Amino acid sequence: MAVVGAFCVSVNREACLNARMPGKCATCAEVCPHGVYALDPVTGQMHIQNYNACVGCRICSEFCPADAIRVNPAESEYLSRYPWTLAAVEEIHSKAQTGEYLLRGFGTQGPTPNFDMITVVPSQIASAAPLDKYREECDLEVVIGEDTCARPLRLKLPFVWAAMSFGALSKEAKQALAIGAAMTGIATNTGEGGLVPAEAWLARGYADEARTRKQWEPGGYLIIQWSTGRWGVSVDYVNAGDAVEVKIGQGAKPGMGGHLLGSKVTEDVARVRGVPVGSDALSPCRYYDVQSLDDMRHMVAFLRDVTDYQLPILFKLGPSRPYADVAACIEAGADAISIDGLVGGTGCSPDIVTQGVGIPTIACIPPAVQALKDYGVHRKVKLIALGGIRSGLDAFKAMALGADAVGFGSAAEIALGCRACYACHKGNCPYGITSQKPELTARLDPVEGGRRLANFIHASAEEVKILTMLSGHRRIADLSPEDLRAMDLNTAALTGLKLAGYERPLPIWEAVTPRPADDQPRTNGNGHKRPKPKARRVLRSKAAA
Amino acid sequence: MKTIDAKAKDLKAVNRALRAAVGGEPVMVKHAHHLHGLAAGLKFGQVEVAGDAGDYLGVLNAGATIHVDHDAGQYAADNMTAGTVVIDGDAGYGAGQYCYGGDLVVRGDAGDFTATMNKGAVILVAGDVGDEAGTYMLKGDLVVVGDAGANFANYLIRGTVYIGGNWKSLGHNTRQEPLTEADLAKLRGYFEQYGIQADPAQFKKIVAASAKPFYN
Repeated sequence: MAVVGAFCVSVNREACLNARMPGKCATCAEVCPHGVYALDPVTGQMHIQNYNACVGCRICSEFCPADAIRVNPAESEYLSRYPWTLAAVEEIHSKAQTGEYLLRGFGTQGPTPNFDMITVVPSQIASAAPLDKYREECDLEVVIGEDTCARPLRLKLPFVWAAMSFGALSKEAKQALAIGAAMTGIATNTGEGGLVPAEAWLARGYADEARTRKQWEPGGYLIIQWSTGRWGVSVDYVNAGDAVEVKIGQGAKPGMGGHLLGSKVTEDVARVRGVPVGSDALSPCRYYDVQSLDDMRHMVAFLRDVTDYQLPILFKLGPSRPYADVAACIEAGADAISIDGLVGGTGCSPDIVTQGVGIPTIACIPPAVQALKDYGVHRKVKLIALGGIRSGLDAFKAMALGADAVGFGSAAEIALGCRACYACHKGNCPYGITSQKPELTARLDPVEGGRRLANFIHASAEEVKILTMLSGHRRIADLSPEDLRAMDLNTAALTGLKLAGYERPLPIWEAVTPRPADDQPRTNGNGHKRPKPKARRVLRSKAAA
Repeated sequence: MKTIDAKAKDLKAVNRALRAAVGGEPVMVKHAHHLHGLAAGLKFGQVEVAGDAGDYLGVLNAGATIHVDHDAGQYAADNMTAGTVVIDGDAGYGAGQYCYGGDLVVRGDAGDFTATMNKGAVILVAGDVGDEAGTYMLKGDLVVVGDAGANFANYLIRGTVYIGGNWKSLGHNTRQEPLTEADLAKLRGYFEQYGIQADPAQFKKIVAASAKPFYN
């Protein structure tokens, strides 16, 4: 719901340079890609010509040399007339005028069940004692495909960048993600839009194409996405990375293919994708060359073959039926499975699909873990959780629920400077992240962006480390749902976590949760083993016997 | 000619042997009908498949010449970027999908969804094709000497579709155009190159009605 008129731009005329000296400053008009401001060519005076065009990206207040601009959400009575909010009214008006459904970028708006109502349980005396974050070691490494591939993917930290395509993102943003990955030892993902120039060697930490000079330590990895549109795919493309990800779906629009609006299909993008310049590039929603799970198994087999059995094969799923979907991926031969929740982002999608299709990330992880456990491959076939992960705290909660690593997508864009204005589809990103216009993408420096991303990853990793160690673990693989409690009934019902205070899962989960004695730590802080629980004897009355 | 007997061997063994053998003289592969992804991602060489081939024959082919003297399974020459794949018999569902370049020749019939999302290859079918052939084609040529099924050339974006026979129904965003001299010369060239008996003048040409049929 791109709400028209939801933001209120106010200019402090006393501070504004243009108001004091017309013609002196036109920064706001220059930086705003949405046409909110206009400069009078005769008088040189600045005025706001279109309040409704403002999407709330706040680039004007960022660049204003006099700090004279404030962009505030419109606090009108109109906004609170639920369910006929300003957004709903505007949506109907727009459809009535144009006959077209709304398209929108970024992700789900409004509250959905997320990690906020989960709390972390620290160690005290009854469980393994907490570890000292400042003086002890904690192992955050995650290895994908250790037993199956000649070249497993060794992530130094349990993070990846979510798959975002060239086309949806600018070349500069893709390069920044690669550099950020190289600085932190994590993996970047090509997305479905093919390789960006320099991406392959930047991601490994090299400063030049010949790979003679390593500029960024420890050097990261590149995951190649194999998707339904197969844009720019050749045998060299598949072999350009350190893993191949088979995209089945994504969180923002499960059941639909990628959607790149014509406004972002520039010559460079059109060359990779093979579509005419300025025409929408719509990926198919399914693989035309897969009709059954057997076909998918054969696809994995030939992908392994063309990569000479070196690289791990990942699957990426949208949030649909996590148990059955993850089971199918295991059957097809995946080394790792990414599961993207409802809040997962997108460059462009029908509003109703982003808003109303799929299940939340917290509800995806437990069934996915159950499927992995039922096949006996939990923590062997890795699970990567994506969709609305904002911090080390969210990442820790996802990993304690059973994921092995997490992906940052929207959070990575925000680390690059994005202010979450939900207008990625317009191709006018004022921070140069989701735009293809040279004048806007020039605002993003890949190396500086990479540094910001690396800082974000380092901070998040430290957060994960704090939480892992205060809950008494040395390795993230040892985390379990026992380290978490749900703080409300909804979250307890969605995740099967123990409800805080009640200290048991809700009765509706009894059939699928193991007996409490099984997931209790077997040792206390001093290393003494707990006695094994005795088998319960069912007492029957003599009368019943 | 070197020979690889694929009987009771798996894909890994056969494709590794094939990669080691190609380069000089042609390599013959026998009894390979159970392998899906035979000759995947070859960059050069000449492969002769004796008998039937399985699914995903020559997937990601990047320059090799592959010849099958019987039928091929589903998705033959999938995602080919260069090279030539010639199938003397029939091809199953989805032959020549997602190709960026190269030539695919099917001397028999081809199944549904032939040449879907073709992005630059030349795909010749000397017999008939099934439904939805040429769906979402972005570049390249699809030439069908026989008849086509329903929804032929659906959502054509660019590229050209030529058909010698008739179709059951034509897909969205298509328009018929008269053949030009260049088209005739091109078709004649294809037919001569691959020894197909057909008269170019009898063909109908289908192109996209609009280059931007979608939302924008």
